[in-house]
Amino acid sequence: MLAALTLITLDLQAGQGSPLASVRRGADAVLAPAQRVTGAAARSIGAVVTGLPRVAGYQAEARRLQLDNDRLRAELAASTDTRRQVGELRQLLGLKDAGRYTMVPAYVSSRGSFLGFDNAVTLDVGERDGIRKDQTVVSARGLVGRVLRVSRASCTVALITDPGFSAGARIAGHDGLGVARGDGRRGLRYEQVEGDRVEADDVLLTSGGTLARGIPVGRVRVVRTTGTQLKTASVEPFVDVSTLDLVAVVAAGPSGQPRVPVPPRTTSRPQPAGVPGTPR
Amino acid sequence: MRPARVLFGLVVLLSALLIQLSVIGRLPLPGGPPDLLLVVVAAIALAEGPASGLATGFSAGLLADLSADHALGRLALAYALAGYVAGLFSSDLDRSAVTSFAAVAAAATVGILVFAVSGAVVGDPRTTLATLGRSLASSLPYDVALTPFVVPAMALAVRRLDPDPERRL
Repeated sequence: MLAALTLITLDLQAGQGSPLASVRRGADAVLAPAQRVTGAAARSIGAVVTGLPRVAGYQAEARRLQLDNDRLRAELAASTDTRRQVGELRQLLGLKDAGRYTMVPAYVSSRGSFLGFDNAVTLDVGERDGIRKDQTVVSARGLVGRVLRVSRASCTVALITDPGFSAGARIAGHDGLGVARGDGRRGLRYEQVEGDRVEADDVLLTSGGTLARGIPVGRVRVVRTTGTQLKTASVEPFVDVSTLDLVAVVAAGPSGQPRVPVPPRTTSRPQPAGVPGTPR
Repeated sequence: MRPARVLFGLVVLLSALLIQLSVIGRLPLPGGPPDLLLVVVAAIALAEGPASGLATGFSAGLLADLSADHALGRLALAYALAGYVAGLFSSDLDRSAVTSFAAVAAAATVGILVFAVSGAVVGDPRTTLATLGRSLASSLPYDVALTPFVVPAMALAVRRLDPDPERRL
């Protein structure tokens, strides 16, 4: 059995590079369909189990949802079921330039958790659905995470509460800019880099970069000022990561740069037709 | 090892892994969720001895590593040692009813600590005192709670497949 231990040490070293990536892909290819089946079964069982204590509130919620449902049904009558779900997500999120983003709906097929340590979350969409590494994952409430690894029919997602997750973030309504990092438990920690105002109840949005812009991340709870005048804050995410089910992956952003209008010239010379950027 | 025993082991480990990923990982339980794969490894080790525990743990951990996103081999190491520790209790199994609980608790403790140490060595940001505390304080009790459901079933199955298990150290 010493051979086993030697093999393990070799594994450890090799695991830090990428030569085993193809082995992982093979494993994912095998596990993904099985996970999809058990995930679907788990979803129905889980729905019953978690619903039991909340039966009392369901009637009011059911009435409200019925109204919403009727409205949405009327608005999206021509769409297929998939496009309706995407439409709901878009409306609820209110993404800027929503028409320019392609969103792929996905279900959480599994949440890894070994020896009590949280591990990766996998979704039931992959390369064949247009998913690529580093894409943004959102839900109806806000930012969920980022795609880490993609296989043919599944992908692995780092959640916002993951200690390894970080994203550029800004305060809604101010010019504060900083970095939000998962704190390993239920929330995030925000470190202000630019700007000098951070207060409790401020709303944090993504600031762009590798993730899509303007996605709600969470609400600031407690603000602390470190010795060098840098403000850090604990953030409560809008998304409840322990009950994730339907999410969407932002698969493609706007193609090319959006046009930036150029202020008109003040001379009397006529503008040549077709100059790009001339406001109409 | 008889082919039936190997096949049984593979099926059981894969099933436990799938249930752990798709069902248990997603339950909104307070604190860290239990680790069914660990309890299954400990149960098999209890029935067959420390050598089998080491091998079963290694295989289970390797399967788990392939589905996870950390350095390959970390769970293999942790589960292998956890299986070995659980197997050490196998000779005491007939002496007291508490043995299987003690074995699972010991295996879980060893597994968690080894995984945490390997996380610190590799620099895994998920390994912090807070997450370690959470594992020991809530996942471990859940694992022990699973014992009466998993251990007797595994013991029965193993006995059916291999009426004279080797107990070498």
